[in-house]
Amino acid sequence: MKEPSKKSEIEYCKVCRLHHDHGSRHKYFPRHKDLLSTFLDRFRTKIADVRFFLKNPSVLRPQEQSQNRVWCVFCDEDIVELGSSFACSKAINHFASSDHLKNVKQFLSKNGPAMDCIDDFRISEANVATWRRKCQSLGSEDASSFKGSCEQLSGTSNDIHNKLAFKTMDKIENVPAQLINSHHSSDVLPLQYNTNKYQISHSELPGVAHYGSYLNMDSSHLPLHTDPPSNLPGNGFGKHVIPSRSKDYPSSQDQERKQIKGSYSSPGEVGMTSISSSHSSDACGNVHSGAPPPWLDANDGNSSNVQLNQSDMSSSFQAKIPGNTRKLNPNRVGAAWAEKRKIEIEMEKRGQTMNSKVDAEWLPNFGRVWQSGTRKESRKEFEKEKRKLVKTESISTESEPVKIQPYISKRARRETGENGSG
Amino acid sequence: MSSLLLKTLTKKEEIDRIIRDTIDEVLVLRFGRCTDTVCLQHDDILAKSVTDVSKFAKVALVDVDSEDVQVYVKYFDITWFPSTVFFFNAHHMKLDSGTADHTKWVGAFHIKQDFIDVVEVIYRGAMKGKMIVQCPVPPERIPKYNLLYKDV
Repeated sequence: MKEPSKKSEIEYCKVCRLHHDHGSRHKYFPRHKDLLSTFLDRFRTKIADVRFFLKNPSVLRPQEQSQNRVWCVFCDEDIVELGSSFACSKAINHFASSDHLKNVKQFLSKNGPAMDCIDDFRISEANVATWRRKCQSLGSEDASSFKGSCEQLSGTSNDIHNKLAFKTMDKIENVPAQLINSHHSSDVLPLQYNTNKYQISHSELPGVAHYGSYLNMDSSHLPLHTDPPSNLPGNGFGKHVIPSRSKDYPSSQDQERKQIKGSYSSPGEVGMTSISSSHSSDACGNVHSGAPPPWLDANDGNSSNVQLNQSDMSSSFQAKIPGNTRKLNPNRVGAAWAEKRKIEIEMEKRGQTMNSKVDAEWLPNFGRVWQSGTRKESRKEFEKEKRKLVKTESISTESEPVKIQPYISKRARRETGENGSG
Repeated sequence: MSSLLLKTLTKKEEIDRIIRDTIDEVLVLRFGRCTDTVCLQHDDILAKSVTDVSKFAKVALVDVDSEDVQVYVKYFDITWFPSTVFFFNAHHMKLDSGTADHTKWVGAFHIKQDFIDVVEVIYRGAMKGKMIVQCPVPPERIPKYNLLYKDV
């Protein structure tokens, strides 16, 4: 006699996406095996993409950061490339980490057939080291064009905040550190750095002390770490913030250098940075002096271009409008009437007085309820009825009131007639 | 309240003008009295939906108590209030809702979406050249009435 199968607890299989009580036997079921192969293949393609970037490191622009994300199915987490300057850098580091390896082993033991494919889902340390070296060499090439990358890194759009911040950052670079220090005594410092979320996150309390201490240091003295970003001191955000200060990311380092030079915040003050006022007063003036804003200044020279552009726009719009009407179905209901009416309206607008007096007797095209036949017939019938109604009304008003007399029989009338004559 | 949002027409000239000036858009004319409760409900639905359909439809109310308008009341064979008549490019659009009268919608709409669906179906049919369209409202939400032929 067969032994009754053991009743196991209900578990959820990530691969098959269903609950089952098969227990440990589940992973040998053919359906599970099929689904597992597709599941792992999907992940293999993802990791192949990451391996491509491992072999060919490339700079990651901020606008592409959100697109460059990977979901690790073994660790059940989304790896987002926020604040990383090279494509898939976080993903590469994740796949090389020991936690990921542990999770992969666990997954394969629970779901998988064998452990021999474990290397497919992780990146070895050697590969990561070669990748880092490649990044470094790439970074040194980029140092000459760092300004461009700095612009990209500091903001995605060319809005005024970034423009101004960039201008000020340029000027800050030239100002010696002592001048910045001189403003330490004043209580209220002019706002020299845009205080959006990203900037505030940089100057959080644990990091503040670092900034303060770096102020008097030359850029060459900046410490160079080789730790991965997650191990940075004073970084309370895990993976998601502050570009690492390691040698691998010289472009971001330069950006930080600029930020550090430009920012000063007293301990205890959270989220506030200031820059010296000497460079803030530009030759062009500012809001308080009543000077025009920079975008208008730029447009003054291009006003004629702007006008041209506007006329171009209007002509393109006009070109669009007839395009729209051309698209209207010529077979639509009342198309001919509509075209005629549009022409009439246009002529009226131009001032040509047409016979726009609508006939008081005009009636729209209507199919009546109790009529059969064409709509023209129904209109004709209606008009006929109207005429009849008018006639009967007129007749009734014109007729004299009928006199009511008592009935006299023929004999009586004859007798009265004979009596009258006789 | 809805009369503030929707135009109320009391003269034949006004009706003529609005029919002739509405080009390539559905014109919805409601014939009724603003004091009647069913009319009020109907007007409320119309007023709420007018912005949603504004790109392809116009809505106007016609007061049936006005003398000038009686010719249209007779021409359109309006016996029940509120009655809604649909036009497209000055051509009357018929709506087959399973009732006896295909030339108009009699009664109030139950929900806003019903009205929007009807106007959309009429617009689509008119753009394809159809003068009669199938009503998309389910039968349970179509008001029932008896149509009398010459008071029979």
